[in-house]
Amino acid sequence: MSGNPGKIKSNKKTRYPATDYEKIFHPRTVAVIGVSAEEGGTGFGTGMLKSMTAMGYEGKIYPVNPKGGRISGMEIFRRVEDIPEKIDFAVIAVAARHVPEALEACRKKGAAGAEILSSGFGELGTEEGKALEKQIQEAAARGIRVIGPNCFGIYCPASGLTMLPGPDLSRISGSVAFLSQSGGISIDLAHAGNYLGIRFSKVVSFGNGADLRESELLHYLADDPETKVISMYIEGIKDGNAFFTAIKNAAAKKPVIVFKGGLSVAGQRSVASHTASMGGSRIIWQSILKQAGAVQVHDPEELAQVILAFSLLPKKTFKSISVIGGGGAIGVTACDTAEDYGIEVPPLPAGIQDRIANHLPRPGSSAINPVDVANPYVSPQNLKEVLLAAAEDQRIELQILDSLLYHYQPLARMFGQRITAITPYKELTRAVRDAVDQTGKPVIAVLPNPKRGPEDMDITELIALTRQEYIKLGIPVFDELHDAIRAIAHINNYYGGRKK
Amino acid sequence: MKNEKAMRIIEKALRQGRKTLSEYESKQVLAAYDIPVTREVLVKDKTGLDKAIKKIGFPLVMKGCSADIAHKTEKGLIHVDIRTSTEAKKAFREIMAGMEGFEGGVLMQEMIKGRRELVMGLTRDPQFGPCVMFGLGGIFTEILQDISFRHAPLEARDAREMMQEIRGHKILDAVRGMEAADKQRLTGMLINIGRIGLEIPEVSEIDLNPVILSGANPVVVDALVILKQP
Repeated sequence: MSGNPGKIKSNKKTRYPATDYEKIFHPRTVAVIGVSAEEGGTGFGTGMLKSMTAMGYEGKIYPVNPKGGRISGMEIFRRVEDIPEKIDFAVIAVAARHVPEALEACRKKGAAGAEILSSGFGELGTEEGKALEKQIQEAAARGIRVIGPNCFGIYCPASGLTMLPGPDLSRISGSVAFLSQSGGISIDLAHAGNYLGIRFSKVVSFGNGADLRESELLHYLADDPETKVISMYIEGIKDGNAFFTAIKNAAAKKPVIVFKGGLSVAGQRSVASHTASMGGSRIIWQSILKQAGAVQVHDPEELAQVILAFSLLPKKTFKSISVIGGGGAIGVTACDTAEDYGIEVPPLPAGIQDRIANHLPRPGSSAINPVDVANPYVSPQNLKEVLLAAAEDQRIELQILDSLLYHYQPLARMFGQRITAITPYKELTRAVRDAVDQTGKPVIAVLPNPKRGPEDMDITELIALTRQEYIKLGIPVFDELHDAIRAIAHINNYYGGRKK
Repeated sequence: MKNEKAMRIIEKALRQGRKTLSEYESKQVLAAYDIPVTREVLVKDKTGLDKAIKKIGFPLVMKGCSADIAHKTEKGLIHVDIRTSTEAKKAFREIMAGMEGFEGGVLMQEMIKGRRELVMGLTRDPQFGPCVMFGLGGIFTEILQDISFRHAPLEARDAREMMQEIRGHKILDAVRGMEAADKQRLTGMLINIGRIGLEIPEVSEIDLNPVILSGANPVVVDALVILKQP
């Protein structure tokens, strides 16, 4: 029962202090145990030390290796005991059999927690591995909280703690927490978040979860003022009841987005060898998450999209939307998709249609809703006028602007200019931000790109730059209209359901 | 706190080394938890037939009842729409002959008329423990697998949501001249199935299929309680 420290059996009758999460996520002193003493080492310990340095971690790092020496200009201490001051946190990357001893030394040195990057524990399924994991739990019970083993660790942009191998993750903090057994998904999301505009409060890859894991971390995040949106990837859980209570409690306070892996038969086999836990039945999981009021997503892309929507949009439902974009078919499919998700795209009143029509080329455009702007070169100023007019319909709660920027490529080539030079993307993003500020109604930008080959890298660059401008202004961007509408539907379910 | 009446039945079965409760016993456990079941009498001897007929009234359903017998329909152990005592006596003889020496009797129960069949149940998930199931019953349970689950304990809202969640949820509305189902009663049934799961760890599974809507009122027509293997 690692989820609850009170239940761990210990020989000594000692009262342990409450977990000091502040020291764990924002440590001022960190020991990195298991760096290479030789120049050019590539072990996890060295990787972490170099990543933390690259991230600009402001606290004090103490590398440890029994051979001593120097690394990246820092003195390597032979033993944890030799470190000249108390430590807040430790990164442990030594061979599995040395981990319990290192952990105990860190505890005695005052560390509130340690992340164990090493593998070779319960996930092996061997007696030796299980016994070592049990020793970790026993050490943890004496008063040091453990992340891992077999994990990538903690990423906290505010403090500069980073996951492996993450020397280049963003230092911009935000409101999104992510919990995961899988380190791979954590680091992928951390990187994806950087370009998508997801800003994290903390990301925890807890691997085998020998000590701190989903339920306890959910309780912590539910009350963490730095976190407004909780997201997680789960393979298996340790204690169903504790998890249910924790996620229900958390989801009553803030959105909890869950990507549950290992629901297929093949997936369950692979879960067992991946993080030594059970996958569970698909329909039961679906029911449990619904009952708890959590948001279930089904792949990493949807996970990122839904996190983005929850973190950037106001906390309310959006039952009626306008869709503004180029092309009749886009509008038709937008209506179809919206209806599938229970979202309305109502025809705008005649007066508003007239105003919109004044800003669009004629013939070919349609001002009904979806609004077909007919031509991809409509100026940002006119698009803003369209957004302002459509927002005057009281029913409209959110607007989607689908911009086909790739059409600027032939224009650019015709004039022998760079596409980024002739496309008014900065003006576009500014116009959208102004429209949001003036109307109080959020806009989601959609930037589809059907031309992604090597000969069209200029478009890829343009889209990336446009996205970056939007993100700076706090406007969520999606690749596809369908993704945006599905994300809105999740928001509607959350704020329209249990949170009523 | 455990329900004493239900526990007496379960403990007796466990002492006899049984893995299931008979339909009759299962329904007594359900009734002890205020779950509406068919009115029925277990008759072990043909001398008891007249008394049972008088108590339940025609039309009747007669079923072979033993904890050891599964697949009653396939074995010809169910006779429905019995309308005279001659028919009842004939059915009694045939059922007893078909019991192949298993200990038990003939369950004489009221015939519930209703075109809408539901399923309810309890399963124990290895991770989450007791979960209550709801869905379309009868043959549709297998064909459509239109079912939903909720973790026990259930709040009334959980029960309402799980009923709304199945694709065929409109079956509970007023459709084709049939009354809307008594959702409050259905809600209570689902909550109480969850209570059995929480209060009696000896019960490993419950399968109530069909639960027939007699007008607006749900009634458990067939029931099976599976006990935890020691």
